[in-house]
Amino acid sequence: MSVNIKINNAVKKFGENTVISDISVDIKDKELFTLLGPSGCGKTTLLRMIAGFNTIEGGEFYFNEKKINDMEVSHRNIGMVFQNYAIFPHYSVRQNVEFGLRNRKLDKAVVTEEADKFLKLMQIYEYRDRKPEQLSGGQQQRVALARALVIKPDVLLMDEPLSNLDAKLRLEMRQVIRDVQKEVGITTVYVTHDQEEAMAISDRIAVMDFGVIQHIGTPQEIYHRPSNTFVATFIGRTNFVDAHYLANKKLVEVGEYNFKVDNISLEKNNDVILSVRPEDFLFHEEAKTSLKGVIKDSFFLGLNTHQLVELQHNKQLVEVIRESSLENELPIGEKISLSIKGHKVNLFSKDSKENLVKRS
Amino acid sequence: MAKNIKKYFQENGIWFLFILPALLVYLIFMAAPLLDSMRLSFYTGKGYTPTEFVGLQNYIDLFTNPIWRERFFGALKNTFIFFAIHMIVQNSLGLFFANLLANDFRGRGFFRTVIFAPATLSVLVAGFLWTLILNPHWGAINQTLKAIGLATWAKPWLGEENLALPVIALTSVWQWVGMPTVLFLAGLLGIPEELLEAARVDGASSGYVFWRIKLPLIKPVIGVVAILTFVDNFNAFDVVYAMAGAKGEPGYSTDLLATFFYRTGIAGEHPIGIPNMGMGAAIATITFVILMVGVLFWLYSSRKNEDLV
Ligand SMILES: Nc1ncnc2c1ncn2[C@@H]1O[C@H](COP(=O)(O)OP(=O)(O)OP(=O)(O)O)[C@@H](O)[C@H]1O
Ligand SMILES: [Mg+2]
Repeated sequence: MSVNIKINNAVKKFGENTVISDISVDIKDKELFTLLGPSGCGKTTLLRMIAGFNTIEGGEFYFNEKKINDMEVSHRNIGMVFQNYAIFPHYSVRQNVEFGLRNRKLDKAVVTEEADKFLKLMQIYEYRDRKPEQLSGGQQQRVALARALVIKPDVLLMDEPLSNLDAKLRLEMRQVIRDVQKEVGITTVYVTHDQEEAMAISDRIAVMDFGVIQHIGTPQEIYHRPSNTFVATFIGRTNFVDAHYLANKKLVEVGEYNFKVDNISLEKNNDVILSVRPEDFLFHEEAKTSLKGVIKDSFFLGLNTHQLVELQHNKQLVEVIRESSLENELPIGEKISLSIKGHKVNLFSKDSKENLVKRS
Repeated sequence: MAKNIKKYFQENGIWFLFILPALLVYLIFMAAPLLDSMRLSFYTGKGYTPTEFVGLQNYIDLFTNPIWRERFFGALKNTFIFFAIHMIVQNSLGLFFANLLANDFRGRGFFRTVIFAPATLSVLVAGFLWTLILNPHWGAINQTLKAIGLATWAKPWLGEENLALPVIALTSVWQWVGMPTVLFLAGLLGIPEELLEAARVDGASSGYVFWRIKLPLIKPVIGVVAILTFVDNFNAFDVVYAMAGAKGEPGYSTDLLATFFYRTGIAGEHPIGIPNMGMGAAIATITFVILMVGVLFWLYSSRKNEDLV
């Protein structure tokens, strides 16, 4: 079964309060699509509109060509995994997994066979006769996933399914989710506020803020070419530095230092916001033209060392990451020269709203 | 530090000082009167201080002597019917109302108040009110039946032997249905919303969700409601007293253990009017034993369930 989800101009209001003002997305067949954003931005709200638990104040929702705005929840043929597992405490693991099949009036033998298949797929077959309370959090979430998938839903919805698990289990389970999602081949909408998790698991991500989608793209696109300063800071870390763009020479000027960028959509000279990821600074012993600064603080994190550098020309602090070396690190107070990997930076308009780098 | 104090208290028996006040109150006001009334049940004599020890004679009379036996088993049977009507009608209605009130809809607070309001009335007032409504000549019920052309359905509701007990039980149901409703409602609202949503996503109908998810999950509440219903109604007295008098009119058809006890041990049977305290104490003791057995059974089975779940 192939299902794509299409949402046109969705609006959600709680009373007078508009939580989602106008969202449109196309979620492709068999894609793992993530809604990512800070707490309260409306991820759960949008997911619950797809599930049918929230009323829809405007716009259209489609599964393929079928409009689902007014369809009963139980008729939408969706699987759902909740943050706190939501498995039935009075049923055994097997009964939980069989629950959806029993509602479909299938043959007893078919029910058992299908349940077995998914119990094995989720590697909980050996726990099939246990009660949920006798399982660990990770095992419970596996039960929830098996129960959601066993009914062969058209769409799988997951709302922060890993946030109740400890850090190690989270890594393990996100791999499980990704593998199973690919194996079963099901269109999936995944909600999280953890950007690293989103990057690791998703085919595409919609970054949301205040009920508006800021950027839709693959993890790479969103990381390398964020559409505005919000996305640039929400995904990974970045430094914003005031800069000036010289259109005729295709140069970005930061204080005394300048470097060439040739894929900028500006026609005229203009003040811009330069966004540099910490790993996109280079250290120089000597250089003709360089960004001068002083090391103010230093954090050794094993693989990398993070350093806070105060820029000489405007006293701004920027974060710089270098691979740790065996020799002594540059001490605090040391004057250093930096340059910037020009092809990896982003330039944003002064109002923060537009990425001026042309998409290739 | 805190641990040391705990240990000190445990080793020196100081913990006992803390439960002593409550224990004293319990012993003086609960245990002692109970034991004394049991002692009284082995005595006979007219008036309020029976002095003649008769061993088990009161009990033997209750179970075998035709004068007592008929009344006693009649009251026992009526009490059981009275309890059963509450158990079935009141608690099913309570569950039904609670399930409705657990949904979010306009006027929910209003209906909750309406359902619970009769419970705030005095039983005597409610009983009196219903005797007016049920009056065979000018009561609202028969008037209404006549007005809509169902005059044949009009009955002397409290005057027929096979009608009076169920009718009185139903007025009591009307008054107290708010109690199981709020208890069930609390239980239903305690079920995590996600569980019900998960069930709906999986295609379960609302009936299926009710029987297979909600009901099993509020099993502890059902147990509590059942035992409260049992204790309350095996002790019931006032509603019958208010609507049918101390003799459980008509013809003892509404006589309960408590009214029987009241006539025997406190008011004194017509026409003599002298109470038989010893026999009254025997009736009270039997009632107590029935309640005790019921409660112990419940405690035992709910304990067993706890271990299982
Ligand atoms: N039932 C409701 N009634 C009123 N307001 C609501 C309701 N549900 C959500 N909201 C509001 O809608 C906004 C979005 O909530 P939502 O739960 O979708 O956020 P979220 O992105 O899922 O956040 P989180 O990461 O914390 O789960 C919030 O401001 C919230 O207060
Ligand atoms: Mg949420």
